[in-house]
Amino acid sequence: MKDTTRSQRILVAMSGGVDSSVAAALLVQQGYDVVGATMKTFCYSGATASSKTCCGLDGIADARRVSDALGIPHYVFDVEEDFTRDVIDDFVSEYARGRTPNPCVRCNSNTKFKDLMERGRLLGCDGIASGHYVRIDHSNLPSPALYRGVDTSKDQSYFLWGLPTEMLPLLHFPLGDLTKQQVREQARALGLVTADKPESQEICFVPTGNYRDLLEKRLEARHPALEPGRIIRRDGEVLGEHSGYANFTVGQRKGLGGGFGEALYVIEIRADSREVVVGTAEEGASPGVEIGELNWQTTPPPDGSPIGVQIRYRAPAVSATVHSTNGPFTLVFDEPQQAVTPGQSAVFFEGERVLGGGRIERALVAAKIG
Amino acid sequence: MSSIYLDHAATTPIRSEVREGMMAVLDGDFGNPSSAHGWGRRAAARLEEAREKVAQAVGADRSEIYFVRGGTESDNMAILGHAEAVRGRGGTPFAVVSAIEHKAVLGAAAEVANRGGRWSTIPVYPDGTLDMEVLDTTLADGASIVSVMTVNNEVGIHLPIEDVAERTRAHGVVFHTDAVQALGKVPVSVQDIPIDLLSLTGHKIYGAKGTGVLFVRRGVEINPLIFGGGQERALRPGTEDVAGAVGMSIAVDLAVQEQESEATRLRGLRDLLQSRLENGINGLRIHGDVATRAPHILNVGIPNVDPEALLAGLDLEGIAASAGSACESGAQTASHVLQALYGRLEGVAALRFSPGHSTTENDVIRAAEATLTVLERMPSVEARA
Repeated sequence: MKDTTRSQRILVAMSGGVDSSVAAALLVQQGYDVVGATMKTFCYSGATASSKTCCGLDGIADARRVSDALGIPHYVFDVEEDFTRDVIDDFVSEYARGRTPNPCVRCNSNTKFKDLMERGRLLGCDGIASGHYVRIDHSNLPSPALYRGVDTSKDQSYFLWGLPTEMLPLLHFPLGDLTKQQVREQARALGLVTADKPESQEICFVPTGNYRDLLEKRLEARHPALEPGRIIRRDGEVLGEHSGYANFTVGQRKGLGGGFGEALYVIEIRADSREVVVGTAEEGASPGVEIGELNWQTTPPPDGSPIGVQIRYRAPAVSATVHSTNGPFTLVFDEPQQAVTPGQSAVFFEGERVLGGGRIERALVAAKIG
Repeated sequence: MSSIYLDHAATTPIRSEVREGMMAVLDGDFGNPSSAHGWGRRAAARLEEAREKVAQAVGADRSEIYFVRGGTESDNMAILGHAEAVRGRGGTPFAVVSAIEHKAVLGAAAEVANRGGRWSTIPVYPDGTLDMEVLDTTLADGASIVSVMTVNNEVGIHLPIEDVAERTRAHGVVFHTDAVQALGKVPVSVQDIPIDLLSLTGHKIYGAKGTGVLFVRRGVEINPLIFGGGQERALRPGTEDVAGAVGMSIAVDLAVQEQESEATRLRGLRDLLQSRLENGINGLRIHGDVATRAPHILNVGIPNVDPEALLAGLDLEGIAASAGSACESGAQTASHVLQALYGRLEGVAALRFSPGHSTTENDVIRAAEATLTVLERMPSVEARA
């Protein structure tokens, strides 16, 4: 990998946002031969222009401006086909099954880095970089370790558990040791046009924030996920009707129609019977979680090991114990957890270090632990 | 490493004669040609001299030359402007265009249909000939205008427009040609061929962007698309860009004067590049090879290569080329032109090299070498040992 006759060439993913702009700038400062790339993930022609979508056409234009200012080349790569198949189709089918997908995890695990890696190889690059707030420690090659970003409010390790181990040696995350504030300051100091760009919060292919429109467009007519069904308690008591279970996610309180007298949350979505099950916080607490689609960035821990698990973005990791010998991979929490949501990521940690992760298949229900 | 610009079909730098001519107007004769004072008269004189120069270069009368703001505007004024005239007479406009036209023509023709008329395309074969049966059928079916480009911008095919123009005229139908890529590369004359409407742009012939010409043969009716004052015989209102017109006229004049010698030189460079690439790449396709080609475009197809990575790789090696047409960059599928000529072309990366004034033999040799270097990193291409 080392070529002493020239500086290392790094392909950096640039969305046109402030983070990836600064990531590129830092790599330039560090003396790398930096090449910028924006992945065009879906066709924007139908969407209304929105500056909030970081990977929209505005994003491409901003990424080009920043690249020009940094004096680096920049290319746009069309990954629409991969993105549609691996991210959008998955997003739709997860909601259709009554689950709540993490499209950004899918994108990072299946599309963005894979496609970057492929293009980087074709362009003779020695490494790949992005503006994620995570740290990578290359000191223990050949198996580098991924750590949470130092800015706990921006840490994005939750989205990167799906990166295959063989990719890790090639990755650079220049923002891992910085806070968001420091990144903005850097951007201003460098005079980057993206310095004061607002955060992108929405899912990039749902710029309106209303994913139901997308589901209606992509699911067949009268798909059960969008048809009315009953809102029930776990004991079967019917509380009312809903307009499609795809509108709900486990743990949500708002949008239940209200007026139930006590605070109720969605605790389960039963796609087969189109029922949305609600209950109290206590009823919604799960003693454990069954996890599929596992990816380990280190040696998998043996049965009975203690492990930290994060089951939501912006939630702390909680302590659990591995149960992996009989049946599906399961974690039993030290304390029951709320809103264990099928389809969401469960990310494994040892302290700050990412060990791997998977997709939540099922929340265990108290009575079933035995 | 210095860069080699091989994308003259996308745009060209401004040549010094054009710049000097434009600067003289911008600095000195800046007046409004409509003004009744000396400044206005001088500007009007520059404008009319420019018109005369363009007219002479393409064999037209100066009253038939309209200065417009580029090729797309010229194409739209011809096709939509004529459609509006047909509609004004109570007819139904019907635009018939070749399948390999530039988007400016295709878009204008589609707009004819959006506004209640019709449009259709004539297939073009790989040898550059058009499906004359389809042409005859549409002419009999009420075509009001036929538009066939002189030289295609992506593959460089020089289309047999004389034949098409004559048949079209025989039916009393108006014939338009987009000669944006043709001028300076092949002979362009409205005397030799019965062309009714002809479009030119400045920035492909070392003129300025935003400058262009529409030739309208006397007696051919077109309506304006924008409205205002009486400039350009009220066909293109708005205070004239005198500097642009002067620059355009110089660019056109020199392009026509130098056409023969420059075509010979460019053909030599193109053929050298083509043979170097053919010798280095197995399975290389030469698009347009069985047709008559203009001398300045080489479009090759390389199987099993990611076109975006190929272009990016070339850029990193300092070679500026394009994927067919600059207007379709980013598209993974074959362009409409390549699809019309060759079908879907799955997995083939199309690459367009277009040498120009500054290009040397050494440049194209280096470009061929760089292409092979980039392809060596691309797994599925077998570069010859």
